[in-house]
Amino acid sequence: MATATGGIQLEGTVVECLRNATFRVELQNGHKVLAHISGKIRKNYIKILPYDRVLVEMSPYDLTRARILYRYRT
Amino acid sequence: MNSLHSFSGVDEHAVVVTRVAERHWHALDDDLVVGRGEAWHRPDGRTFLSIDAWHGPVFDRLADAMLADLPRPLYTVVDEADLDVTSHWERAGFMTRRREWEYLVPTAGLGRVRPSPGVRIVAVGEAEEGPLRTLDRVLRAEVEATVGWQELPAEVLAGPDGDTVLDPSKYAVAVHSDQYVGLVRVVPVRRQARIGLIAVRADMRRRGVARTLLAQVLGSLHGRGIELAWAEVNESNGAALALFEGIGARRGSSNLELVLG
Repeated sequence: MATATGGIQLEGTVVECLRNATFRVELQNGHKVLAHISGKIRKNYIKILPYDRVLVEMSPYDLTRARILYRYRT
Repeated sequence: MNSLHSFSGVDEHAVVVTRVAERHWHALDDDLVVGRGEAWHRPDGRTFLSIDAWHGPVFDRLADAMLADLPRPLYTVVDEADLDVTSHWERAGFMTRRREWEYLVPTAGLGRVRPSPGVRIVAVGEAEEGPLRTLDRVLRAEVEATVGWQELPAEVLAGPDGDTVLDPSKYAVAVHSDQYVGLVRVVPVRRQARIGLIAVRADMRRRGVARTLLAQVLGSLHGRGIELAWAEVNESNGAALALFEGIGARRGSSNLELVLG
């Protein structure tokens, strides 16, 4: 049985907090994506701010959209 | 655990929802995970859900599978501004139970607050662990006997043996007659700080103890170059709303706690 995998995960930096609980994140390759936060981030009351370094999972359907999975401490 | 739940068509792909562990569900498009659901139990005994999905129909299928597997009531928390996710949960039958306002608290401007008579403040990181834990137990017993933790915004974290003071270094306390009577938990997060909990013993309320605690903590943060703190406050907690609005805090975003009974 093949192992299931999620979308591609990339690091980026939050550059803007937008309406509708979304964020603009600049990836390390320079591309910018629109990202929502994951349920785990909300569950843990983690606040996302501009300049935060984050790990995002790219949408397999739309490479301009992503989900913030993790906020790095530094 | 690896139970198959349902099939669905999304963008002409077959999506399968599978319970992959006790508290985890996956929506699979071939071998690609296109949605995840998770259930977790809070120390107050309630079960909360979260779902991450790229498409509405996948969200709905995950919700169907999770709701079929789990006993009610079930809860979730959403950002009120996230209209898409909120509407997904509402479509699954969830209803708003309460609202938490996020207050943004400037650390400057509170100035020197006259301490309530006979009260002194022990700064963050300097509280004695034993009396702090004793106060925490007293406060929690008071809350349990009145409104209950379900009505409070701060997530209740419990450690081994039900201990809730996980890191005493994050607390400042108010002392009266050599007894700890109030506490505030504050966690600096780089440019901002989170006020996770502020509480005063029932017999010491309405004396300005909480305001004195906040003034000390905010002043300390300001001295360290942190300009802003934030706190979540239950909309129905009039005393907490008055406390934060009285020190110049302003409302930012809001979270909704939704319930399916």
